[in-house]
Amino acid sequence: MKTNVDSPSKKLVGKGLSVLGKLILLGYAVFTLYPLYWLFISAFKTNEDFFQRPYALPHEWMKENIIRAWDLGNMGRAMYNSTLVTLSSVILTLILGLLAGYVLSRFNFRFKKVVVTLFLAGLLIPIHSTLVPLFLMMKEIGLLDTYGALILPYTAFELPIAIFLAMGYMASIPREIEEAAMIDGNGWWGIFGRIIFPLCTPIIATISILAFLRFWNDFSFALVFINSQALKTLPLSLALFSDGFGTDYSLTMGAMAIAVIPTILVYLILQDQIMKGMVAGSIKG
Amino acid sequence: MPTAIKSKGFIALALLPALLLFVVFVIIPIFWSAYYGMFEWKGIGAAKFIGFGNYVEIVQDEIFWRALKNNMILVVSAIIGQIPVALILALLLIKNSFFSRFIRSAVFMPMVLSTVVVGLIWGYIYHPQFGLVNTILEAVGLGSWTRAWLSDINVNMFAITIPINWSNIGPYMIIFIAALQNISPEIDDAANIDGAQRGKKLFYVTLPMIWSTVVVTLVLCISGSLKAFDHVMVMTHGGPAQSTELLATYMYNNTFRVYRYGYGSAVSTIIMIISALLIGINYILTRRKAE
Repeated sequence: MKTNVDSPSKKLVGKGLSVLGKLILLGYAVFTLYPLYWLFISAFKTNEDFFQRPYALPHEWMKENIIRAWDLGNMGRAMYNSTLVTLSSVILTLILGLLAGYVLSRFNFRFKKVVVTLFLAGLLIPIHSTLVPLFLMMKEIGLLDTYGALILPYTAFELPIAIFLAMGYMASIPREIEEAAMIDGNGWWGIFGRIIFPLCTPIIATISILAFLRFWNDFSFALVFINSQALKTLPLSLALFSDGFGTDYSLTMGAMAIAVIPTILVYLILQDQIMKGMVAGSIKG
Repeated sequence: MPTAIKSKGFIALALLPALLLFVVFVIIPIFWSAYYGMFEWKGIGAAKFIGFGNYVEIVQDEIFWRALKNNMILVVSAIIGQIPVALILALLLIKNSFFSRFIRSAVFMPMVLSTVVVGLIWGYIYHPQFGLVNTILEAVGLGSWTRAWLSDINVNMFAITIPINWSNIGPYMIIFIAALQNISPEIDDAANIDGAQRGKKLFYVTLPMIWSTVVVTLVLCISGSLKAFDHVMVMTHGGPAQSTELLATYMYNNTFRVYRYGYGSAVSTIIMIISALLIGINYILTRRKAE
């Protein structure tokens, strides 16, 4: 039986991959990694070096670009804003999403079907088609150009996925556990906080990672809802960076290198969980 | 569930915050958008009610049709450029060897980059002077093919599809690998005993087994392509001369560049309707095929 685990693929590609197959796959990997490699070597070049030998290794490795980019681009501030907005939104998404997911997976009540359908529809609503009305609405209530202008919509748009992941996972938790806890004198809040929440660690990880990548990398909401320099997130300041210092290529490359390091690190450390999350998040139809 | 303890209060308190936030920031804007689409409004001063005037104008608007066509180019390029490549990679990389895992990680990597970074890097790759594409063409003696890839209106839409496909293949590959791993070995063995050949097995056994996954990826491709915005905003802003305008950039430019809030809202509503239509059509077509 054990030897059969790989069999669907084994039979399709014969005995392992041929040398040619491996070379083609390696070529494809180079195609996906090269632009990133190029970004990092260019970040350490002078502009002259960049123009004269754009694809060679740096003539001499300059860390000045990175430092200048950090200062000129106000990257520290942007990093702080991105972190604050992303963390708050992830935490809010987790709390609201798990609670709602718990209610929807355990209780029956009158409008349950309507609520589930509503959240389901949210999975298919194109984010960008709500940009204009959201902008107008937030302008009216004075939310525009605050951290809340990002945190609240980020959370709202991530809730459907979070709720469906949570519902699916919680359905697999046996109900006897709650009955036992009830006999011990717990109320619903106690049961949720002391028993269900800790049992949900794997799905909490998945929800958090998906949400983190989405919030950290978001450009369109930040572009429309944030105006003041002090509140700009990383992708936003990068985009403006390229306009402002349009011809200083190595400086822009330096800024990009700074900006991509956090997500690449997270990816390298958590890649298995990220890939699992990707699958879980997409099996939604 | 035992009713020994009060549930109603818990249900309300645990569900309402999520529901409220979702309705206020996701559902209401859709209706608000349809409503504002009926006004001529510059963002300041009084809004003038013009009924379906904006919608009539959109239908006659040449740029709108160009934007829609560009979005369709993205949909088609995503369907033929992402799904088959992802499926082939998944078939080749399903094994859990070190080599497979390494290639998988590499293919998935662009996905974790911000779309702004992807747009900027590829903007440089397409650069007329030092860009990688032109450098390679010259190196292999095709110097006459070099051009300003993002400003030549004959090719720029196609140039834009490449970074978008480049960064989206990884997730589809992972989804396909997961689906392929769920095919039970018994079915595969049965097909082999019946003497099915590789190609035949792919079309008659493997593909039907993962058909529901293919449908999911189609829906994701369509909705993803209609959402496309960031890459184009960063690489071309929809230009030159609105040649790379997409529905979303057109909405953005109308609203925040020329301050036609009503018109922008109407375009938003149209994007919503087109998405719903395409996803509905896809659902009907693929369901019939599966039966």
